[in-house]
Formats: sequence, structure tokens, C-alpha cells
Amino acid sequence: MLLLLLLVVPLAAGAVSALARTRRTMETVNLAAFGLGFALSLALAAQVLSAGPVSLWGGFLYADHLSALVCLLTGSVALVCSAYAVGYLREDERSGIFDEDGIAGIAQFRKYYSLTPLFVFAMLLVALANNLGVMWVAIEATTLASVFLVTFHGRVTSLEAAWKYAIIGGVGLSMALFGTVLAYYSGHHLPGSDTLAGLNWSVLAGHAAQLDKTTMRLAFILALLGYGTKAGLAPMHTWKPDAYSEAPVPSAALLSSATLNCALYGLVRFYVLTSRCLGAEYPGGLLLVFGMLSMGISVPFVLVQKNFRRLLAYHTIDHAGIMVTALGIGGRLGALALMLHMTYHTVAKSLLFLCAGNVQQQFRTDLFDKVKGGVIRVMPVTGTVFLMAMLAIVGMPPFSLFQSEFLIVRAAFDAGHYVPTVLFILFGTGIFAGALLHVGGLVLGQGGEQPAATVHPWRDLPILALAAILAVIGFWLPAPLLDLIRGAALVVTGG
Amino acid sequence: MDLLQNPEFGDKMVTLMAALVLVLQIAMVGQRWLVMNIRLFGAQSFLLGAIAAAIAWYNHAPHIYAAAGMTVAVKAILVPILLERLVDRIDIQHEIAPIINVPLSIVISGGLTLVAYTVGESFYHPHAREASLGHNTLAVAISLFLIGFFMMLNRRKALTQVLALLTLENGVFLAAICLTYGMPLIVEIGVFFDVLVAVLVLGILVFRIRESFESMDVSKLRRLRG
Repeated sequence: MLLLLLLVVPLAAGAVSALARTRRTMETVNLAAFGLGFALSLALAAQVLSAGPVSLWGGFLYADHLSALVCLLTGSVALVCSAYAVGYLREDERSGIFDEDGIAGIAQFRKYYSLTPLFVFAMLLVALANNLGVMWVAIEATTLASVFLVTFHGRVTSLEAAWKYAIIGGVGLSMALFGTVLAYYSGHHLPGSDTLAGLNWSVLAGHAAQLDKTTMRLAFILALLGYGTKAGLAPMHTWKPDAYSEAPVPSAALLSSATLNCALYGLVRFYVLTSRCLGAEYPGGLLLVFGMLSMGISVPFVLVQKNFRRLLAYHTIDHAGIMVTALGIGGRLGALALMLHMTYHTVAKSLLFLCAGNVQQQFRTDLFDKVKGGVIRVMPVTGTVFLMAMLAIVGMPPFSLFQSEFLIVRAAFDAGHYVPTVLFILFGTGIFAGALLHVGGLVLGQGGEQPAATVHPWRDLPILALAAILAVIGFWLPAPLLDLIRGAALVVTGG
Repeated sequence: MDLLQNPEFGDKMVTLMAALVLVLQIAMVGQRWLVMNIRLFGAQSFLLGAIAAAIAWYNHAPHIYAAAGMTVAVKAILVPILLERLVDRIDIQHEIAPIINVPLSIVISGGLTLVAYTVGESFYHPHAREASLGHNTLAVAISLFLIGFFMMLNRRKALTQVLALLTLENGVFLAAICLTYGMPLIVEIGVFFDVLVAVLVLGILVFRIRESFESMDVSKLRRLRG
């Protein structure tokens, strides 16, 4: 019942917003729906923690610890972003960005407020669908629902970005679909496999040792390429900086945190099947290669970046690489590090995008050169939080991402992956230098003549809330959340 | 009517139709006219539907009829109509300019087919249950997929890339039909829904890109780099 409600609420909110006449109605409906969605995802987490996996309709919808964690992360980011969006879109309307093409403001509001709940619905379905085919359909639906969010501002560059996003995503996901077909085939000799349940992850995972090995080998490569494209792993990452810099900020924040989690979630599900069928070395090795490549490729782009939203996008590619590396190292430590990192990254990266959005709206540009620094003087709250989140995400202690990255390095050493460990530290240092240099200059630099900005509650409260969470989880992870993360890691390692 | 009950005849029919599907795919690589390309795609999808129906008939698996019907309705009729209307409305150049010239493209497609046969071979398990339909058809499915990829890379124009993406999807559908007699019905419906929405979304994008191209500032396009 909980699972169904979790899906129905955003879907209904999307439908109501599509029919609503005033901006205020849409804002209220969205805020209420995402607030309710967040509460429901908390309830789901509580239920999974107390009674184990939940399922509905004969296992069609299924939630274990991993699904509950991904839902919780999606639900919380969606809530913060919907609060932030209210102020962000009002500011856009006030400053006349909407009127360029003569599109009425209300149509723009309707587009945003009806597509975003659909987008969130698709992401929740990814985590709750047991059937790998339905999961694929949902991941494809996240792309389709967000294409018109990327073109939201209607610039020529947004069209280019949306095109790349849709086409590269489409090709990638068609590989993932092939992988899904092969996974189905690999279990096709098992009894009862030609029913709907034959493609259920929980069923396949139960019989993983009997799956056909050759087929599973190919299925994993295809799924890795496909969901890796969606996660923005190098060399399939090229759509990412464009889409993240063109989409409106709340959508970019959702894309870079919650959607990334969904893609990784798909990958983790396939990883579990493959490692139980073929042993962990084969998928682990492939994942390490893609992880290292993604981290390596993002370093030069972070170092020379001129645009701060693209900087964050390359940073997300780096972190997708880090998480895939953690999965590739595998074992108990690797899986735990992955889940911790996923949680921390979701908080920190969405916070960074929201801060970048504040800076962009205040200075009317997303280039470092044009802002000329001095953000902390003009916008004290945003500036401080921006710098803090940046320090957190490049892995400065005492922030939480230091712990998860340290855990990855430790797991890699324990498992004897010395070359990846050295590369990991090397690339991490490069990113650290590049990101801090740029954002430090942006926030603390000399600065131009901008007067201090007026205080905006819609603008500052969401980032303050996320910043508080980020600061707290650096020192203290609530026991139920830690249990959930441990449970999610156990889904990966089994047992 | 004896033939209609004979599985060997069915196998031959399926293989023949799969071969035709492959021929149509290579014809799409060679064809320079956009509208013709769309029609070839429609014909290919129709044959896929026929293959699915034949497999449903000979294996007495009624749920595949639904997949066959949806293929014909969505991919052989609806999508080509939508795409042709789009071509009319945006009044684009009707000739496709591939990056690699046509004769070489066809040679490359032939090479990809060979690769597909070698890959398909490794999946052939004669002892597995009634895999007789699988062998040749799977190789064709993998070739569709590989050639679709090649078409994607070989074409610069937006609409032709959409077509390439759709043939990729056709390859996956054929693989699903011959390996596992289709996916579970609800998954099949979901996939068709996604394909249809994707065509609509991409169609709108093509339309808007075309509109902006008239006043497109090249220096702005260069902003999305690095």
C-alpha cells in the first residue's frame, strides 16, 4: 500500500498541476506532494528496517533496503528542490527571462510544475520496480520526462543540450534494454520463467548461480554501457555538462543527484546478478576501468573550467566514477563505501547546484570571469554555504565525503588494487585543487561593484536546511539511517 | 493447410523474413532519400510484426500476438506517419548526407553482419529447449543493432538519427522475440509506450531545432564545449 501511495502521489500532483490555472495552486500542489512523498519515503524506510523487504502485487513492486535508501534520497532532494523552485521561478519571471520567446509565464510554470512530479515519479518507480524490464522503462521515462526541463529556458544552447541528452541517452538505454533481454534469456531455462516474475530481480537473484554464464557476461557489459551512459560515466559522459548547465537549477540538482542514483541503482542490480553468477572479479574489473576513466577525464576539465555549472557537472562525472570504483572494489567495505558515498554525494551535490543557482540569478551569468568573485560579500549566506559544500565534496575532513572516500581507498588497499588506489588519490588531488581554486576565487575573491543582495527566504532556507544536514552527517549519522545504509550494502554483498 | 502446422516450414518462413529485415536495414544504409528511409523503416517494422505473429502461431503462444499487433500499429503505421508529417511540416532537405559514402557504408554494414553472426553463434545451444528459431534470427537481431549504431554515427542530421535509434530498438525487439519469445506483456507495453513518447519528444525537438537554425548564431553553439 505504501509503495503504491509513494508512486501515486507525484503522479497525481503532476496531473493536478497540468490542469491548474494559477501559479500559486501549482506551487502549493507541488510542495504538498513532495512533502507527503518525503514522509512516505521515511515511512517506507522505517517499515523496511523493522520488517524487511516489502512487496506488492505478487512482487511486482518490491522494496528492500537499497530501494528504500534510493527512495529516501530521491524524496528528500525532491522536497528541497520543490521549495527552492518556488523562489527560483518567481525570480525568473520577475527578471523577464520567461518573456523572450513571448511564451506566457503561466505556461512555463505549468511545464515545470507538471513535468517535475512526473520525473520524480519515474525515479521512484526505478527504485520500486522489481521487474528489470519495468525498471528499464522507468529509467527511459526519467529521460523523457526531463528533456523538456532541459529545454526550459528555450535558448538555442538548451535545444542543443536537450538533443544530446535525448539521443545519447536513448542509444545508451537501448543497450541496457538488450542487456535486460539477455538477462531474461539467461534465466529462461529455469522453471516458471516465462511468466512476468521471470524477469523479477528478486527471482533472478535467488537463482543467480543457475543463470547461463555466457549470456550473463554479455548482459552485464551491455547494462554497464547503458546505465553507465545514464550515469554519465566516461566516455559516454558528453551530454552531462550541457544538460546540467542548461536545465533550470532545481532540475539540474535533481538530475545530478537523484537521477544519478537511479542509474547507479540499475547498475547495482545487474552487478549483484552478475557477481553471484560469475564471481565478483569479472564485473568488478570492468567497473574499475570505467570508474578510473571517468575520474581521470574529469580532472583536466575541472582544472580549466570557466563556467561554474559545468564545473559542477564534471564534478558529478568524477563522483559517478568514484561510486562505480567503490562498487568495482566490492566486498563488504566497498559496498558500504558506495552506499555512504551515494548518500553524502546526494546531499552535497544538490546543495552545490542550488548555491550555484543563487549566484547565477544574482549576477546574471554562470561564468567565473563575469562574476569576478566577492560572492561572500554580496550574498553572505550563499557564499558561506557554497564554500562549505565545496570543501565537503572535494573530501576535506571533517566532512562526510572524506569518510566515504577514505573507506574506498582502504577497501581498495585491502583488496590489493594498488594501481587503482594510486590513481584514485592522484585524480582526487587534481579535482581538489581545481575545484577549490575556482570556487575559492568565486566566493572569496576581490569582487566587483555589486551591492549586497536582499535576503530571500525562498532562496536561503532550502540551502540552509541542506547545509545543516551536510554538517550534521559529517559527525553523526542517525542510527536508523546507518542501519539502512548497512542494509543496502548487504543487498550488494548478499547474506 | 498442412504447411501451416509444420514447424519446419514455420522456421523457414521466420528465417526468410528475418533475412528480409536485414536486407531492408542495409537498404536504409544505402538509401539517400529521407522519406524513402522512413518507409523502409515502416516495412521493416511490419516484417518484425509478421515474424512475431509467426512465432506466436507455431509455438502456440498467444501473448506474442499482442506484441506483434503493437509492433505493426506503433512502429509500422503510427511512427512512420508522424515522421512523414514532420518532414512535410519542417520542409527540410530531403537528401541525407552521410559522413562515409554509400558504397563504403554498405561494405561496413556487411562486415558488421559477419561480426553479428560470430557473436550469435556463441549463444547457440542445441541442447537448450526448442532453440531452433533462435540461431539465424539472433544473428540478424545483433546485426540490426550494430548497423543501427553505425547509422547513428554516420549521420549528422537530427531526423535521420531518430531513425537510426528506432532501428536499434527494432534489433532489440527481434532479439527478445527469438530468444525468449518476447518479454512479459507488461514490459512490452511499457517499452512501446516509451518508444512512442520518445518519437514525439524527439520530433518536437527536431521541429524546434529546425526553427532556431534559421537564426542560429554559430558562436553561441560553441559555448557548449569543454
